[in-house]
Amino acid sequence: MTAKSKSRALGGEELERFGAELDALRARTVATLGQRDADYIRRVVKAVRYIDVAGRALLYVGAIGGAFVNWLFWPACVLGVLLIAVGKILENMEVGHNVIHGQYDWMGDPHLNGKTYEWDIVATSENWRKTHNFRHHTYTNIRGLDDDIGYGLLRIFPEQRWRPFYLLQPLIAPLFALLFEWGIAIQDLKFGRLFAGKTTLRKMKRALSAVGRKMRRQIVKDYLIFPLLAGPFFLPVLLGNVAANLIRNLWTWVVIFCGHFTTDVETFPKEVIRNETRGHWYLRQLRGSANIGGGRLMNLMTGNLSHQIEHHFYPDIPANRYAAMAVEVREICERYGQHYDTGSLPRQFGQVVWRILRHAFPSRPRLRLRLEQAVAQRA
Amino acid sequence: MSSPTSLESAAIAPASRRSRLRRWVRPWVNPVVFDFWAQRLHPTWSWERPLARLVAREQASIDSFTLWLKPNRHVGAVRPGQHFNVSAEIDGAAVTRSYSLSHLPRADGCLAITVKAIEGGKLSSHLCHDLSLGARLGLSPAFGDMALPAQPSGRWLFLAAGSGITPLACLTRELAARDMPVELDLVYWARCRDELCFIDALRALEAAHPRLRVHVALTREPGAMQPGEARGRIDEALLQDLVGPLDGRQVFACGPDGFVDRARQLLAARSESFQAEAFTPPQPAVDESGTVEVRLAASGRTLRLPRGVSLLEALEAEGLRPRHGCRMGLCNTCACEKPAGIVRHLPSGELVREPMSSLRLCIHGAASDLTINL
Repeated sequence: MTAKSKSRALGGEELERFGAELDALRARTVATLGQRDADYIRRVVKAVRYIDVAGRALLYVGAIGGAFVNWLFWPACVLGVLLIAVGKILENMEVGHNVIHGQYDWMGDPHLNGKTYEWDIVATSENWRKTHNFRHHTYTNIRGLDDDIGYGLLRIFPEQRWRPFYLLQPLIAPLFALLFEWGIAIQDLKFGRLFAGKTTLRKMKRALSAVGRKMRRQIVKDYLIFPLLAGPFFLPVLLGNVAANLIRNLWTWVVIFCGHFTTDVETFPKEVIRNETRGHWYLRQLRGSANIGGGRLMNLMTGNLSHQIEHHFYPDIPANRYAAMAVEVREICERYGQHYDTGSLPRQFGQVVWRILRHAFPSRPRLRLRLEQAVAQRA
Repeated sequence: MSSPTSLESAAIAPASRRSRLRRWVRPWVNPVVFDFWAQRLHPTWSWERPLARLVAREQASIDSFTLWLKPNRHVGAVRPGQHFNVSAEIDGAAVTRSYSLSHLPRADGCLAITVKAIEGGKLSSHLCHDLSLGARLGLSPAFGDMALPAQPSGRWLFLAAGSGITPLACLTRELAARDMPVELDLVYWARCRDELCFIDALRALEAAHPRLRVHVALTREPGAMQPGEARGRIDEALLQDLVGPLDGRQVFACGPDGFVDRARQLLAARSESFQAEAFTPPQPAVDESGTVEVRLAASGRTLRLPRGVSLLEALEAEGLRPRHGCRMGLCNTCACEKPAGIVRHLPSGELVREPMSSLRLCIHGAASDLTINL
């Protein structure tokens, strides 16, 4: 089964109506933005701050107290690490990612401003605004324009050219997941260009300096200052911080890969953006994204990327609205006979894992038709 | 006084001075996190944001209130005659207007603004009626050039209309505090007697300082005039009637656009000096086509740009290359602050009148004269 067979081809006029209905939903939502959205994001920020402090305190209790009261060590350390990880996940996904999109710019709060917010991760907001907000969201799943397709490291789609290197990806992918924040941090540097001789070492160094500053800051904060506060019990705190960052990396990787690399998701050739209409743009976002089913907890812990489709339709609308908008988006997609890719986390992630394993080996696109149809749809 | 046209001066003013210790600690402090915890302890503690708390509100006239604000250290000094931005959160969004200092700063550092509750005025009615005591407000460092010289002398004339009284009343208080070193005539226009702000205080100053004379002119008072009051708008005859010969004065005028223009025509040429501050009405009408003047605050350039096209296209046509990305209002790369002016959201055709708000160059077009931080 392919995505194509699950969705009906839309004619030009129908496609425009499809886009207009989605635009109307946007306008209806924007008109009602107000206090409850402001309260929501502030509540999440508050939760992030308290969870972080609670997690760090517990880690100290475990590391220092555990040295004197043996049974305290593991439960306090484990709980502390989990809380720090949850705090970072919430800060990165529900606050950072969404604020940097400018979702809360309408509030005029300098602490929630998309152009200035800096998040608790080694990647700089500045690079993220370029690779993610602009390139990934504008050119979603367009091969050669959206660097998020495999992150220059993995072969996820049969349309990517196979090289023997990809045979290693069943091993590389889990490593990439654990070090995801570092991958994102250097994504915009495009080290491949250096090896290919497309850029100079000096230019690369200059680009690295801002990222380097942010990396140093994060390392000093998490791996030096916080551990040093524990004095002689430095090591467990250091390891706890490392573990928390790894958990955060793994989780964000899982969520993000589920958003664009499930079985039914498509990629597109560069030609699709020539004269792309609003309706076709929405269609491309729909076919390039997948949701994760689950309740409010899943929405919160994924920064509402459980509604990846809604996020790609409306990247600048406060994410706390996606769940409500999804009801209408689904209904619209159904009416226009468009497949709306959603499923439980195990189901979606299982599909991602399969893609990583399958396309490590040479593979060919199932339907050559897909590509031509995607192009033809513009007409 | 609310003057949307002068909001931008504060937006680009430097933040307060920083000590050496702060400079050293700075790279390791995340202001967002610092402010969160500092404000658990005290509502206006902040790493660098100018904030204030509303500590008292007194009625100043039938529809005006004087608000006493306790600022934090980042607000800095405010001189009489200056103004600062005040922002309050209304339905989740910050609404910002500028107000002038209306009283001398108190010994405890409290600053006063006097706000007229304008019908339909988002912030003014919020400040006058809804904001509870103790609430936090965003402020800005003070800005504005209207100020007393170090050694004031000569014959002075203050012309105030409506809310324009606030900076001039403050300057009058300042002169009184310096034992009135000048001959000062203050002429204060209002629609009717009920709308006069702090008139009793001004009369008391007049009684205490023989060189100060306060004149009131009312334009729509239904009842009879009382002693010390005249009827009518600003003109030569009325002014001469009230204050005598007009030549050779140092004049300060403050009020709506039309009032200030009239005062300038009457007096600028024959005065020793003429300083004025005007404020535009909050809801000016907007044309559909033609060009507007766009001031780029960060680079100091001023351009004439057409209405009806996106600011991004218009700026590119002028040879500029502002930062941008998707060109469809999604990626926020071209987001830019708009301290003053009206823009049109091109996809919906709606006007965005709110000063001190954010816009995206690729989907907003200029609708009126505009200032953007670019």
